[in-house]
Amino acid sequence: MLKATDLVVRWGAVTALDGVSLSVADGEMVALVGPNGAGKSSLVQALAGLVRPAGGTVTVEGRLAYVPEGRQLFYDLPVEDNLALGAWRGRNREPKRVYEVLPELAPLAKKKAGALSGGQQQMVAVGRALMADPEILLIDELSLGLAPIIATGLANQLKVLHETRDLAVLLIEQNAEMAFDLCSRVYVLENGRIVTSGSPAELRRSETVRRAYLGAGGAFQGTGDGTAGGGAAASDRA
Amino acid sequence: MSALVDYLISGLAIGCGYALLASGFVAIFRVTEVINFAQGTLAVLGGFVASSALTSAGLPHGLAEALGVLAAGGAGLLFGWIAIGRKGTPPLASLVITLGLAVAAYAAEIAIWGDQPISYTALPGDFVLAGAHLLRQYLLVIGASLVALLGLGVFFTRTYAGKGMTACASNKFAARVVGINVRRVGLYAFGLGGLLGGLAGVLLIPIEPLSFNSDIGLAVSGFAAAIFGGLRSFEMALVGGVVLGVAEALIAGYWQASYQTVVALGLMLLLMIWQARGRMELA
Amino acid sequence: MRSATAVAWAGGIVAAAVTLLLPLWLSPANLTVYTLAGLYAVTAIGLSLLMGYAGQASLGQAVFFAIGAYTVAAASLHGVPTALALVAAPLLAAAVAALVGIPILRLRGHYLAFATLAFQLIVLSVISNTAFLGGGIGFAAIPSLGVNGAVLTSARGFAWLSWAVTAVAMVLALNLIRSRPGRALRALATSEAAAESAGIAVVRYKLAVFALSAGFAGFAGGIYAFFIGYLSPDSFPVELSIEFVVMAVIFGLGSVWGALLGAAGISVLVQVLNQVGTAPGMPEYMPTLLNYAAYGVTLVLIMVFLPGGLLPALRSLWARVAGRRGDPGGPVGPGQGAGGPSAVALGTALASALRLSPAKDAGEPTPEHARRQ
Repeated sequence: MLKATDLVVRWGAVTALDGVSLSVADGEMVALVGPNGAGKSSLVQALAGLVRPAGGTVTVEGRLAYVPEGRQLFYDLPVEDNLALGAWRGRNREPKRVYEVLPELAPLAKKKAGALSGGQQQMVAVGRALMADPEILLIDELSLGLAPIIATGLANQLKVLHETRDLAVLLIEQNAEMAFDLCSRVYVLENGRIVTSGSPAELRRSETVRRAYLGAGGAFQGTGDGTAGGGAAASDRA
Repeated sequence: MSALVDYLISGLAIGCGYALLASGFVAIFRVTEVINFAQGTLAVLGGFVASSALTSAGLPHGLAEALGVLAAGGAGLLFGWIAIGRKGTPPLASLVITLGLAVAAYAAEIAIWGDQPISYTALPGDFVLAGAHLLRQYLLVIGASLVALLGLGVFFTRTYAGKGMTACASNKFAARVVGINVRRVGLYAFGLGGLLGGLAGVLLIPIEPLSFNSDIGLAVSGFAAAIFGGLRSFEMALVGGVVLGVAEALIAGYWQASYQTVVALGLMLLLMIWQARGRMELA
Repeated sequence: MRSATAVAWAGGIVAAAVTLLLPLWLSPANLTVYTLAGLYAVTAIGLSLLMGYAGQASLGQAVFFAIGAYTVAAASLHGVPTALALVAAPLLAAAVAALVGIPILRLRGHYLAFATLAFQLIVLSVISNTAFLGGGIGFAAIPSLGVNGAVLTSARGFAWLSWAVTAVAMVLALNLIRSRPGRALRALATSEAAAESAGIAVVRYKLAVFALSAGFAGFAGGIYAFFIGYLSPDSFPVELSIEFVVMAVIFGLGSVWGALLGAAGISVLVQVLNQVGTAPGMPEYMPTLLNYAAYGVTLVLIMVFLPGGLLPALRSLWARVAGRRGDPGGPVGPGQGAGGPSAVALGTALASALRLSPAKDAGEPTPEHARRQ
């Protein structure tokens, strides 16, 4: 279980988060959407314990693992070492159990992480997080920079993982369409504040949400390059 | 011919010493982005402690040198704690701190060991190779250095701790993500630099006596070797050290010993400037 | 704030008067300390400008001091009129700096620091191997500085010459800071990228400051040669360069008065330690030991706890004591507070531009950092 209460995060004089509260229950898959600069990365870094908040509290019950934005692998090291290092906080450093869940990684074990494709790297990043045997998974921009078909494939794998391991997942996504498809609850973050939240169905009914994140009328699909459908509208509002 | 062999082997030995120092620079810089100006000081401390262990404490060889190396490692940890222990110290400030530590160490060294050069004999005697009389110590230096550098390689590629350190060097943010305490690893890097520097000191002191201000020459030579690999590659540091050592020996032998510094440093400067080419055009 | 500037001006004039009269009462030994303090101050001022405004670390500044000294020695011993030799000293030092700066100034911070150190070692080595420059033994019996038959030999005379040179250097430096080029330099110190887009020729300015700082050091070195009367490569070791760094850093980079205070303070401290170190019963190496301890410990303490220097810290302390919040308008050296950011902000800004202290509002790595990695 993961909970943030009135979280405030500042970078020097800039307030990135201004009193944010959210929660992810055990086994829930929750999405956080919002435009660029909304404070999503600040939020997830505060939740992961990488940044000390200026105010508010973060409560984490259970092991937490973080898949950061932009893969952030150890590019000079081979895949198997990247995975092994994911277990730094734990005891079991054997990557075999990740190969069982993500079999595409097994043949890449000795390859340098820097030599992989974007999709493969993202898989390594997820695998690395899984090495910590987490109960809570934070995933920041899973689909960023990936071709739509790769992103969709990863998303499906994530769904399977969530169901088989009963993971609590917080998915931070600019690709709102994908987030809405995967998750049972959605938070919308804008300018450091949660402006609305609810089930995907509820939010789809909101005209403003649709226009900003799902494309006017919902007919315009999210583009696979990570921008929300109707991206122009979103950035107008940012 | 025998002269050439003499220069090559002696140069190789000194060069291995430089390579150890260079590896110390690399180990620390990769993780912390700090250039440890006190790297030479650690070598001097290692040699001095070993010498005291031999003469004052009467310890046997091997044990005395090990003590020297460990003492240097401890000093490295201390230097690291002072230089990077405080949150928010930028790398350039840490460099200047190591500078201050090197100078402050002069005072400590003079107080404990006096201001005269110190040496001892480790592996006595010489041997003959192709007509050249060479110190057996050269073999010890070369052998021990290569073993140490091999061990270093194994540490970084095959041990979990070593991989963790490489991870910090490769991507600090990701290291923090998986839970690595990057600052603590930086401290360990300083300790490792201390061990490597101390080893260089105990190996070189029988060949050339060291005094409290020998650190500058050692640090500069070690640094020159380290920049062969851009301060990031251990393999290139070894290459750089050997090239530098042999070049210096050849220059001293065939030309003039007093030109060693000029050539070694000139080489280092040219290398740095060449590596920085294209960075800045003159307006 | 006009009253504050007036107070500052008054303070400066009083300080100038006091220091001018001081040589009348000092013993010969202390006159030497006084004279050298002035010469070191001139060098430290130049270095402070270089490190503070151009953001270039220099661990080998003593090389330009040496070049000035050697120019004077070699020239005057080979028949050049002494006054002319003294004029040539800073010019040659500046010229060397300009030449060397062209390739060197493009190096990054820590590489640059080592490059300056390497350059000093190379020059010293070359001098040791050059007979024309006295080789390893150096020069003795350097002719006295003089013009048209009048020579300067008295200790007090040299003290006043040192005072005059320091005063001129300070006026030059302070005017430079206040001038248009000075403002450009300040812009450069805070952000190279911004300065460049504002049309400032960053490279040329850096080179100019480098040469200027070398000129200051060279002139001081020239007088040093006449004052001491003998020199050798051993007179200008790396330790001397580090001493200059300590003097420049201790009160705050970029501060002219800070450099003066640093040089004076360190010189006095060293003299006191020498007294302690040469007391009966002390081992022979004690003075040297105490010197090293003083420099080393000072540098470490300042860089760890107050990388912006003592002046900014003292000023904010003063502001708090005097009950003023935030931007202190406290005693400011003439010209320091004029028109620019407050001295506190400036000192810290310059230190952070040189990346000696973290940028004022730095927290954990920002998301931008994370993305860049």
